[in-house]
Amino acid sequence: MGLLSIIRKIKRKEKEMRILMVGLDNSGKTTIVLKINGEDTSVISPTLGFNIKTIKYQKYSLNVWDVGGQKTIRSYWRNYFEQTDGLVWVVDSSDVRRLDDCRAELHNLLKEERLSGASLLIFANKQDIQGALKPAEIAKVLNLDAMDKTRHWKIVGCSAYTGEGLLEGFDWLVQDIASRIYLLE
Amino acid sequence: MAEEGPPPSTQTLDPIAQRKHAAMLERISNHHQSRLHASAARRSASAASPSFDSVAAFLDRFSELRRSIESDLARCRGAAPAAAADICSAPAIKPELEKVSASISDLERLLAENSYFLPSYEVRSSLKAISDLKEALEVANSELLPRKKFSFRNKAPKKESATLVKEIDERKVPDEEKSNLAVVRDTPGFRNEKGAVLVKKFRASEEDEGDFTLANLESCKVYLKGRFRALFVHRLKDCNVFAGPVLGSILIEEASNCVFMLASHQIRIHQATVADFYLRVRSRPIIEDCSGVRFAPYRLFYEGIDEELRVSGLGVETENWANVDDFKWLRAVQSPNWCLIPEDERLGSVNISEVTEQDNDN
Ligand SMILES: Nc1nc2c(ncn2[C@@H]2O[C@H](COP(=O)(O)OP(=O)(O)OP(=O)(O)O)[C@@H](O)[C@H]2O)c(=O)[nH]1
Ligand SMILES: [Mg+2]
Repeated sequence: MGLLSIIRKIKRKEKEMRILMVGLDNSGKTTIVLKINGEDTSVISPTLGFNIKTIKYQKYSLNVWDVGGQKTIRSYWRNYFEQTDGLVWVVDSSDVRRLDDCRAELHNLLKEERLSGASLLIFANKQDIQGALKPAEIAKVLNLDAMDKTRHWKIVGCSAYTGEGLLEGFDWLVQDIASRIYLLE
Repeated sequence: MAEEGPPPSTQTLDPIAQRKHAAMLERISNHHQSRLHASAARRSASAASPSFDSVAAFLDRFSELRRSIESDLARCRGAAPAAAADICSAPAIKPELEKVSASISDLERLLAENSYFLPSYEVRSSLKAISDLKEALEVANSELLPRKKFSFRNKAPKKESATLVKEIDERKVPDEEKSNLAVVRDTPGFRNEKGAVLVKKFRASEEDEGDFTLANLESCKVYLKGRFRALFVHRLKDCNVFAGPVLGSILIEEASNCVFMLASHQIRIHQATVADFYLRVRSRPIIEDCSGVRFAPYRLFYEGIDEELRVSGLGVETENWANVDDFKWLRAVQSPNWCLIPEDERLGSVNISEVTEQDNDN
């Protein structure tokens, strides 16, 4: 991160973090955001564009951008890269057939210069489904070890259905971002 | 690698994990409480974030802001003739362009905050409008701002990331070839069948946990009785599929000349041509890259299905079977890719009580 962007971040609204949620369609992004925010998750339609939620988390205010993952609108993802502090990549761990697709899209995203400073949280979602791959297996299939060594990342198994793992993931993400952004306090 | 014992569930967690889990649930509910407080506070200070009484009011505001951004952009470009893209005119132009950029962000935020209640067509077209504005701004930036001033700051990080990209590429290529999918196992399902009758009855013990796959089937009749958690459908030709309630979502890719009767919380249909869908669904069904697909309400019967639907949250007809969103259709008029099945062409109610797993002939 250049000095200029550090200054810009400090000048931003107090304790604000910008989080971008992406991943293939049907992976559970919207369900995760609503669950974390304590909202009803029983009626969710596929996301046609994007949603934004401001979530108070510990002493921080998270601006969570939840962008639709259907093929047609993946090209819009790039509109949201600017000033992203944390990237959450959500995987449907039971959708074995599309994991190749999932890996290709993720590695494509990681080439993006504007995201090069963002902490990366990978949610291996839908762990409640029998036959879902474990986080370690997902990490292997997605080839996470091949990522640039300077990238801060973590993979966490979760279920948006039961809530399991969600806070573990967000706790890590928020701590990691805080230790980078607010280090000049 | 395939069999590693049962998957973790709340029952089998060790005590520490259990305590953590309980703490988390408490935190989630605390979250909920504070959110309620926050939203009450927001309501009393309603000026902070504008909310709209109607879609029309939102659209008016949106297009007003959009027009003003467009005219700001036009003014910037008018003020600096193309040839004058030099250091002298830049100081005046740059703050203007930054202002435009900030206005676009505000507009985007306005849309995002209201996208929960806007009809899908409006979300999609507003999204497109913002994307166009951003592009126009990028063009203006590159035309009007002298590159020299920028290159100094931009070059260093760029170089770094260029090598970074190369490293990823170098490592990625061989891995892509050997494709790590070796770890992948087959989940429960019916695969690679032709002309078969395929029956699956989900037992109470598995109904809440399992997903199921139908892949590479031709001219088959498929009956799935009981509740299950997720359904994946891939490459079906000339098939009929009748299924009980699915707790999560159904994802269909590549189906032609098929009939589906399905109940689920979410249904996504990709690359289907000529297919009839009889649906009960809690959210809006979506199609992408489809043509000739038609929709009608769910009319399936077997013993116990009413209770199964009820406990799956699908006991009530929401009429959503007709609220189809086409991701490949951005206009307000009806998409040419789907329609309702005329009443006189619909199947009557389908009773599959007599079908049992003994009928399996695969
Ligand atoms: N069993 C189970 N189902 C889940 C879980 N998380 C999400 N789902 C289901 O998966 C489906 C897709 O969830 P969404 O949240 O709409 O997925 P999304 O990633 O936002 O999809 P797009 O908006 O199209 O990008 C829904 O039917 C959810 O109920 C989970 O942890 N377990
Ligand atoms: Mg979504």
